[in-house]
Amino acid sequence: MKLPLSWLGEFVRLEADTGELCRRLTLAGLEVESAERVAPGFSGVFVARVLKVERHPNADRLNLCDVDAGAVGRFSVVCGAPNVTPGMTAPFARLGARLIGSGHGGGQCLASLQEVPPLQAAVIRGVRSEGMLCSERELGFSEDHAGILALPDDAPLGAELASYLRADDTVLDIAITPNRGDCLSILGLAREVAALFGLKLKPPAIKSALLMPRAGQANAGNGGGALSVDILAPELCPHYAGLPISGVQIGPSPIWMRRRLELCGMRALNNVVDATNYVMLELGQPLHAFDRAHIAASRIVVRRAGQAPGGALDREFVTLDNTRRALDPADLLIADPEKPLAIAGIMGGLNSEVGAATTDLLLESAYFEPMTISRTARRLGLKSEASYRFERAIDRAGQIRALARVAELIGASAGGKVSGAAVDAEPRPAPARQVMLDLGAVNSILGVAVPGAEVRQRLRALGAKVKSAGARRLMVAPPPFRPDLNEAADFAEEIARLKGLAEIPATLPERASTPATPNDYRGFMRAAREMMVGAGLTEVKTIAFIAPADNQRYPGMGGGAVPVTNPLSAELGELRLSLAPGLLGALRFNLNRQAAAFHAFEIGKVFAMRGGAPGEHERLAAISCGDFALGAVGQPATAASFWTLKGVLEQWLIALGAAARVEFEAAGEAEHHFLHPGRAARVLFEGEPIGYLGELHPAEAVRLELTNPCVLTELDLVHLIAYGFQPRQQVTGPPRYPAVRRDLALVVERDVSAAQVIAAIREAASPLLESVEVFDVYEGGSIAPGKKSMALACRYRAKDRTLTDEEVNRTHGELVEGARRRLGAELRQ
Amino acid sequence: MREQLEALRAAALAELGDRASAEQIEAVRVRVLGRGGELTEVMRRMREVPAAERPAIGQLVNQVKREIESRLEALQERQRAAALARSLGEARLDVTLPGARIPRGRLHPLTLVMEQMLDIFASMGFEVAATQDVEDDFHNFEALNFPPDHPAREMQDTFFLPGGMLLRTHTSNGQIRVMQHRKPPLAVVCPGNCYRRDELSVRASPMFGQIEGFMVDRAGRVTMAHLKGVLSEFARAFYGPQTAVRFRASFFPFTEPSAELDISCLLCAGAGCRVCKQSGWTEILGSGMIHPNVLRKVGYDPAEYQGFAFGMGVERQALLKLGVDDMRLFFENDLRFLGQFPSFAARSAS
Ligand SMILES: [Zn+2]
Repeated sequence: MKLPLSWLGEFVRLEADTGELCRRLTLAGLEVESAERVAPGFSGVFVARVLKVERHPNADRLNLCDVDAGAVGRFSVVCGAPNVTPGMTAPFARLGARLIGSGHGGGQCLASLQEVPPLQAAVIRGVRSEGMLCSERELGFSEDHAGILALPDDAPLGAELASYLRADDTVLDIAITPNRGDCLSILGLAREVAALFGLKLKPPAIKSALLMPRAGQANAGNGGGALSVDILAPELCPHYAGLPISGVQIGPSPIWMRRRLELCGMRALNNVVDATNYVMLELGQPLHAFDRAHIAASRIVVRRAGQAPGGALDREFVTLDNTRRALDPADLLIADPEKPLAIAGIMGGLNSEVGAATTDLLLESAYFEPMTISRTARRLGLKSEASYRFERAIDRAGQIRALARVAELIGASAGGKVSGAAVDAEPRPAPARQVMLDLGAVNSILGVAVPGAEVRQRLRALGAKVKSAGARRLMVAPPPFRPDLNEAADFAEEIARLKGLAEIPATLPERASTPATPNDYRGFMRAAREMMVGAGLTEVKTIAFIAPADNQRYPGMGGGAVPVTNPLSAELGELRLSLAPGLLGALRFNLNRQAAAFHAFEIGKVFAMRGGAPGEHERLAAISCGDFALGAVGQPATAASFWTLKGVLEQWLIALGAAARVEFEAAGEAEHHFLHPGRAARVLFEGEPIGYLGELHPAEAVRLELTNPCVLTELDLVHLIAYGFQPRQQVTGPPRYPAVRRDLALVVERDVSAAQVIAAIREAASPLLESVEVFDVYEGGSIAPGKKSMALACRYRAKDRTLTDEEVNRTHGELVEGARRRLGAELRQ
Repeated sequence: MREQLEALRAAALAELGDRASAEQIEAVRVRVLGRGGELTEVMRRMREVPAAERPAIGQLVNQVKREIESRLEALQERQRAAALARSLGEARLDVTLPGARIPRGRLHPLTLVMEQMLDIFASMGFEVAATQDVEDDFHNFEALNFPPDHPAREMQDTFFLPGGMLLRTHTSNGQIRVMQHRKPPLAVVCPGNCYRRDELSVRASPMFGQIEGFMVDRAGRVTMAHLKGVLSEFARAFYGPQTAVRFRASFFPFTEPSAELDISCLLCAGAGCRVCKQSGWTEILGSGMIHPNVLRKVGYDPAEYQGFAFGMGVERQALLKLGVDDMRLFFENDLRFLGQFPSFAARSAS
């Protein structure tokens, strides 16, 4: 909301400077986003009257004017404007004046006023001119250069035009929060300023018979030309008032009005539409002017689109901006008995628009329910200054006053006269609101004792009626323009805001400090992150929206992709099923910026449809590509591979204490089509699949233009987090007796896995076998094709004695023989 | 016999001069102390010595033996030291070369900032609760006092999902989720990601982190003054003890009264600069007393319970704290940016 300080000054006399005003408004919840000084585009220009106009002796198109500028003097001026007439009041620039719009084609301020050369005496076709009469363009008001600017006849002669038009002004731009519809007017903001600074508010003085209690209402039974209103949807329009005006002459509005509209960011159109907009800005009541000639039967019907006569349905409507709008049966319309005239509260129709030929008007001033306006405006994607105000609730009791005010302005600027009784239909009068306010509740919310007298005074400043209602209690009638004030918290806010939040002390709550329960979830995440970082992976964060094609390539671990109903773009049309595409994106981003390697992880949510509803799952994923461990200078580097990333995972699982519950097994051929079929593992936790580990499929690597092998893993964290909450196993001391190692080498079929060999050995083993580990796998050479040799270290230990060589040899011999038989393996010597 | 021993000693010690080579030393050791060496020979002839003299001769034998042994020992020690000194002079390392490059990653700056904030709130007695990103209208809007079609909903442009669900636009859903299942007193912070329909740009991201916090207790026990106290302490703990704070009235549907917290601009310390639009202040979070309608929605009686709530953007705090000005840096994951952050979150003392 734009607030020109000159306009504010009409309603409240403020002594504080602009900086202080901005600060106080901002702290009170009316954030001033900018304060812009508007300087006039001219100097040395005065209000003057043209006394006499004579033809220039040497030029048909020019006139010689005798100009009276009051105390400034009388001047003889050569003027070429076609509209100059004796008796008109106009801006006069005397010699030495500066005009921003003089001497170039455009009227816009291309230079600062000081750079414009001062006006000099000129001899035009042999006649000396002592200044000039100015057009709007010369003054920098508009592009209008058709004639000189006509000023109102009551403008004081000799006055500086800049001060008469208040061209030297400051305009605040204030962000109004959605709860403060009452501040979408100059008067509303003036009320805030008055309440904040403890000043008196002077609302505009409006003299009108309309303001007599329900004076203009008695039109029932009037014949012929009288207006009538039928409200078929009183729950959406509880109050509708209309006023007939006739004899208007459409033309431009007075310059001061146009200037104010423009300072407030609105375009001037004509003297009728401008007056309605002016009153909307001033009082906050949106108004609409219909060309009455186009209203059938002088009858207004306020109804839904679905309530057309004869049970019909209006399906579309052409608005003022010449756009065909599809209607919903619930949309509220202003109609006559034959046709819709306006979409209520949003925009008028082309069929009843006020235009150059209009002479008779119907002025509308109504209250529409915020929700209906909001719903229709949103559906149509059509926001107007009017709908913006109706949505945020206007003054429930301000309709007649605004009507009186606009009639007054149209009378002055367009010559229109009230031509009949007003219609004032209020099928649902506003309920009287009374709130019993407990001062104790206010104090308990704010944490500070506010004296009753202060509460009373602050609420009154906002327009509320306040009465005592017993000890520490007030009966408050909130003003009709503040539907947001209903209970203690609302009043507490007003008091805190006006008082200043700085007046509330900052204290710490008294709380019993019992030790907090440890947050295992947070602890798990923290440990997981730090483990990954310690193992060489950098944490990344990627955005959850991805392209459907990426979800197809990386389908995660089951469930369908979750489509976003209203995505930012098709490329961000779904929620990720997997963290892999984001990690690959980050990898490519870095490789394109000369990174030699990329080792990263992400902990984040993925999303999948489960049983028709979108669900979310916490995942950990990691990616590794390029040299992983570099060694010292001159020593060989270790490149990222299946083994390095598996090592990272294993170390993490050991740290978690979950290693014994996790298994890796070869993934099925088609299980993860983005992984190398021979280098992909399924990860199981207590037998349940929780993720994968593998090398990126070479074809996918080619598509992504990766030259080094890239390894990926992704694990669902649900089970691990749950396990992380369980107590750890029993701790024991170190063994007392030494272990004895015996190795064996078995030649097995090539596709027998280490896990199978170890399982067979464990089956064949005596309880003395403490551990068995693979330490070499060998193919080729003396090993038959299709076979491989696997070397294993077996470690034997007894709890209660040192084992003898004979005992170990015998036990190991049995183990070797047992394993060999189970695996159908040969023993390699 | 005595003369023989003296001669033996003199000869051996003469040979074991300071310049004796390793070979000479070894030769003396074998000749004198060896199994068939000179001293053994003397010992074998002890029988020939008269009984009265035997103890004295015996003593002399031991003395000669010790003397030679100790001389041998000293020479050998000297030789080892010389060998060591020679080897130390060879194969010196260039200690300025880098060590073996043990892999090490970094934590994401948003994690570091989030953890630090959570640590501060945890130290002030708040528990940390994780809540869901996929949410329904009730928990994201309705229970938070956003009526349907209310313009306040437009402050938060929402992503909708199938099945009548949506992506939460703020972590305030956590407030509802926790309060629905528990009774006051409560002091909880809910960290997490939120989503709004903004293109990724310098200023905005369609996905961003937030921390929602709230404290509820019997009416009068958690007031606006406490809100100010807790959040002022937070601001000073997070941004530094010199940070000035101010509370500015504002509007959120789910709080009443509502306030935004500004801190003195970190760049100009309040003097006014381009970043703070000359105001000297920077907004960091929104807060307020929980709206009575919100309490009613979770089944609390506003006459009995009261509390405050606040919410703050993680990226915003990170941008301010790190002094960078582009939101996209957090999601590009450029190693040259990420590589500037530490590998662990500094823990507060608690
Ligand atoms: Zn600053």
